[in-house]
Amino acid sequence: MPKLTIDGREVEVAPGTTLIEAARRLAIHIPHYCYHRGLSIAGNCRMCLVEVEGVPKMMIACHTQAADGMVVHTDNDKCREYRAAILEFILVNHPLDCPVCDQAGECKLQNYYMEHGTAGSRVDEDKVKKRAKAKQIGPNIMLDSERCILCSRCVRFTDEITHTHELGITERADHSEITLAPGAWLDNRYAGCVVDLCPVGALTDRDFRFKCRVWYLTAVDSICTGCARGCNITIHVNRDRPHKAGGTRVMRYKPRENPAVNQWWMCDAGRYSYKQIDHERVDSAAVDGRPVAVEQALDASAAALKRAAAAVAVLCATTATNEELFLARALFAGALGGHAAYLAPPQGEQDDLLLLADQSPNTRGAQEILGTEVRDPVGWVKAHGVKAVVVVGEADLTGLKAEVDHLTVIATHPGKAAAQAHVLLPGSVHAEVEGTFTNHAGRVQRLRVAVPPIRGAVETWRLLLELAGRLGHPFDFAFEDDIFAALASQLAPFAGLSHDNLGRRGALLGSGAPQPTEVV
Amino acid sequence: MSVDPHANVELPAALAAKEVEITTFPEELKAECDAIRGRYETPRAALMPILWAFQRRFGYVSQEMERVIAAELEIPVIWVRETVTFYTMYNQRPVGSHHVQVCGNLSCSLCGAKETLAMISEELGIGVGETTADGRFTLSVVQCLAACEEAPVMQVNDRYYGRLDRARVREIFGGMG
Repeated sequence: MPKLTIDGREVEVAPGTTLIEAARRLAIHIPHYCYHRGLSIAGNCRMCLVEVEGVPKMMIACHTQAADGMVVHTDNDKCREYRAAILEFILVNHPLDCPVCDQAGECKLQNYYMEHGTAGSRVDEDKVKKRAKAKQIGPNIMLDSERCILCSRCVRFTDEITHTHELGITERADHSEITLAPGAWLDNRYAGCVVDLCPVGALTDRDFRFKCRVWYLTAVDSICTGCARGCNITIHVNRDRPHKAGGTRVMRYKPRENPAVNQWWMCDAGRYSYKQIDHERVDSAAVDGRPVAVEQALDASAAALKRAAAAVAVLCATTATNEELFLARALFAGALGGHAAYLAPPQGEQDDLLLLADQSPNTRGAQEILGTEVRDPVGWVKAHGVKAVVVVGEADLTGLKAEVDHLTVIATHPGKAAAQAHVLLPGSVHAEVEGTFTNHAGRVQRLRVAVPPIRGAVETWRLLLELAGRLGHPFDFAFEDDIFAALASQLAPFAGLSHDNLGRRGALLGSGAPQPTEVV
Repeated sequence: MSVDPHANVELPAALAAKEVEITTFPEELKAECDAIRGRYETPRAALMPILWAFQRRFGYVSQEMERVIAAELEIPVIWVRETVTFYTMYNQRPVGSHHVQVCGNLSCSLCGAKETLAMISEELGIGVGETTADGRFTLSVVQCLAACEEAPVMQVNDRYYGRLDRARVREIFGGMG
């Protein structure tokens, strides 16, 4: 194992480790544009030049392998001088149109220039104009070649990750630019990732452009609900200025690195699913179609459930959190002596990168917590002699209302379930609660509150607690982590896990305690 | 130096006649291209000599030819596009019978390539990327021709001419058919 010294600190790394990765082990950040851990090494931006003692020329840290006894300097005068020169060179043809650039605020050119750049440019030649200025290259992607630094991350992504080869770099020298393949359109399932990869403002997202300056955004860790993969994401919320965006609170999803789940990527279907958080929500309670206060609706629901005694059941969609599922089980199967089951998740397309056919984020959690899958709600209700049902989430309940005396639906969006309800309660989506999902591989991952429940909506777990209290079975849970603690103490696969120790990357069922997280 | 490789100048009739329509891999190049391919480990590595074979046969490499070659080598068409556009030696459209390629790179620039190009342009009566109406001369700016000792340099078809001034350029063009 090579042992080397970086900025005066010793580190031992596996053979073949590059200097940029060895430095990362010491939490030393070496500036870079083209290098990305998920892609092949291109070595073209030269921003990561470091000094290796005994080597006459500066070496690129992304492609130089650590060797035993190597002494590396990443931040001495020589490195800083080279970095400033490289930046000056990269900016030779850059338009410096930051005031009208959507990348401003999350641009590596801006950030590195503030830290490593020189003041002013010595170039008095005219800048070379490129062909593509604000050119649409896919349904969601805009290309601005003038801002491009030709790092080739987007090209490598389409070559190496999606294998779709839509992009290339044509022409040479200062005429080079990112180009679509003849007849191509950047519309592969993961195309949005090129915007995340682009270190500058060359590739921007048509869905997000000019809606909100990034410095107004708050980033909150969460999990994508598009399928059972459970891709790690950050939800970007416009907390203070929703009036500037027509009342929209959630502005976008960005993938968050998790080597065990989604690496650095997410699919476009998941990426743009953020829109449903603020779109057409159920935001008030109703009894038989008449709007009422949530308390009245809860009273009506509790009264009907009481009349049914033990002939009650809860049916949960697989979009419910583990905490909601556990409460449903504890109340209906436990305290009330009725039944608790989950509704068969809807199936969609899948591919060999991330997307899974199971379109629900928490099917595995439902399997672990509720056990019973229901494909035919009407038949199941008949078979178990159920008189009153609570449905949590969306499902096709055609014919169910006629089979039972009472149907309460906790819904987030108007849909087939909400349309059937005697009592409709406005519940919460994943972005509005603390909680956990269990992905297809059994990884329990945390959701954090990004926004409060919309308008008149209430956290679904609170609605279930309110029902429990009205039914004479109050639970002693103040917050979501209390519910998870009870779940972990009662269900063996969850034993040892807690909201606190799941960390940012989650932990596998049955692991007892989370694995140590990798250095980021 | 004003070089616009994207100039979309209409082809004179003399050149339009040189355009060929290729929709499938040409039979007459099959054996040669198979032999080229056999010399390399990966199909992508055979790309440049195969492009060269097409240019020798047809005088240029059209976008249809790029597609045909990509299909034959089973590589993405963008890889072919990247290669054809990177090298000034591949003609993307038919050229005149005398392809005048003036070096615009460092040594030549230091020795007055900008003025030389303007002078040649004036002599031929065409701009960069254009062809004379009679289809005889096409003027291009190219990258380093690796003959810096003779700067400023131009290449006409496969011949190099150095130390260019107006008298010499007139003499060279005058002697051409």
